[in-house]
Amino acid sequence: MSEPAVRVEHVSKSFRLYHERNQTLKSAVMRRRVSVHDDFWALKDVSFEVPAGSTFGIIGSNGSGKSTLLKCLAKIYVPTSGAITYNGRLAAMLEVGSGFHPELSGRENVFLNGSILGMSRKEIVSKFDEIVEFSGVSEFIDQPVKNYSSGMYVRLGFSIAITVEPDILVVDEVLSVGDAEFQAKCFAKFREFRQSGRTVIMVSHSLDSITQMCQKAVWINRGTVMAVGDAAMTVKSYRDSLSGSL
Amino acid sequence: MSYLNEVLAARELLANLTMREIRGKYSRTVFGQLWSLVNPLVLMLIYTLVFGFILKVQPAPGNPSGLDVFALWLLCALLPWTFFATVLTQTVGSLVTHANLIQKVYFTRIVLPLSVVGSSAYTWLFEMFILLVALTIGGARVLPWLPLLVLQMLLLALFAAGLALMAAIANVYFRDTQYIVGLLLQLWLYLTPIIYPLSLVTKQSDQVGPVLGTTVTIADIYSLNPMVHFVGIFRNLLYDNRAPEVAEWLICTAWAFASIVVGALIFRRNEMRLAELL
Repeated sequence: MSEPAVRVEHVSKSFRLYHERNQTLKSAVMRRRVSVHDDFWALKDVSFEVPAGSTFGIIGSNGSGKSTLLKCLAKIYVPTSGAITYNGRLAAMLEVGSGFHPELSGRENVFLNGSILGMSRKEIVSKFDEIVEFSGVSEFIDQPVKNYSSGMYVRLGFSIAITVEPDILVVDEVLSVGDAEFQAKCFAKFREFRQSGRTVIMVSHSLDSITQMCQKAVWINRGTVMAVGDAAMTVKSYRDSLSGSL
Repeated sequence: MSYLNEVLAARELLANLTMREIRGKYSRTVFGQLWSLVNPLVLMLIYTLVFGFILKVQPAPGNPSGLDVFALWLLCALLPWTFFATVLTQTVGSLVTHANLIQKVYFTRIVLPLSVVGSSAYTWLFEMFILLVALTIGGARVLPWLPLLVLQMLLLALFAAGLALMAAIANVYFRDTQYIVGLLLQLWLYLTPIIYPLSLVTKQSDQVGPVLGTTVTIADIYSLNPMVHFVGIFRNLLYDNRAPEVAEWLICTAWAFASIVVGALIFRRNEMRLAELL
């Protein structure tokens, strides 16, 4: 078996639940403390491996720790303990179009957003047409993005992120993006990704799309791994637990 | 060192963000970049009227340049100061305003405050160029001092950037910081010989003599302010057209490096947790 794309080893993440948080100096001095807090463990000793060249799903109920796990994977949060090792370049897309500057044109924003996602200028220039083509906003590319419709905004953001061509792509609920036609294009793009040996890690509430798109999946509940492995099996045990509790 | 490499690797992002700041700032204004000149010009008019005309502050003529124009004398120190003040007031909130971006995408966070330093530096360069033209018309020979001037501008930018990094982090913990910074800058302006000559301070200090039975004079305490030295060198180069003292250069260099090193260390220690803290 080849090297896994991502290895998550004993990752735990705690947050502070503030009962009192003094974010102004006056209150900090008056109360003689910066904060009163409890630790809340959003992730507890999570370990799994994501095989290279697969599409990997993360499922679980609301508040189960999916998003925290995803943010740890995207390097936005640093785990309290444990380690995540990557084998290749990572790009994360937790919200499309974040970092767009409303006053700048679509063209300028492609360059800005591309560099935030880690592309060099040369790469962006060479892929510019592809990005615009995929997004379908070519007519409006020189307009300020504040005049874009929300659909155009999201499509342009998504097109940039997907053209980064990372070895590992981390995405959050992107399947709700755009109309049916654009979704079909995204599905096709993900398939292409997989065929070229890249790895996609996604979170979705739509269990059907997880079974459709992913080979492997992990089920998280209350910060711990309930099941990991074949996507269909994991989804089935998650479904069973839901029907059991109802 | 590895941190420096990381920042260097993000230089394209830094350049793009700086361009975003510059373009976004004056977009949809008729006069565009010219607006950045209005602020120093209005300040110059006010200070020249109040201090040069009403209060009759008389700085010594430039030696050896022979310049004797209050407005030019003022601008030689005022432009570096406005750059310094703009950097601090604008970077202090840079992490908080970009909270959305920090919580959604991973990138080297330090580029956010540094891009503000970059865009302010761009405006400053523009202002300094106009000042150089005005000085030359006024009869100063500034061109031979240009290399030293660029060096001094770099030192001031480093000094400002270091303080800005500390302020930006402090503002994440305590949102008071942005208001405190505004207040401190007003105080700091009057504690620096910008609208009055340093000679007035030394004169007072000589009259009073050592304070409280020690050998320390008011001038000694006064010169603890790093901006006194920065501003002094700018005046030497631009208005007087003579070489500043080496000791003054060393003081400025020491302040600049101390500031940027401490600032970068503080930033680095907190960078990882920004997404949670915001």
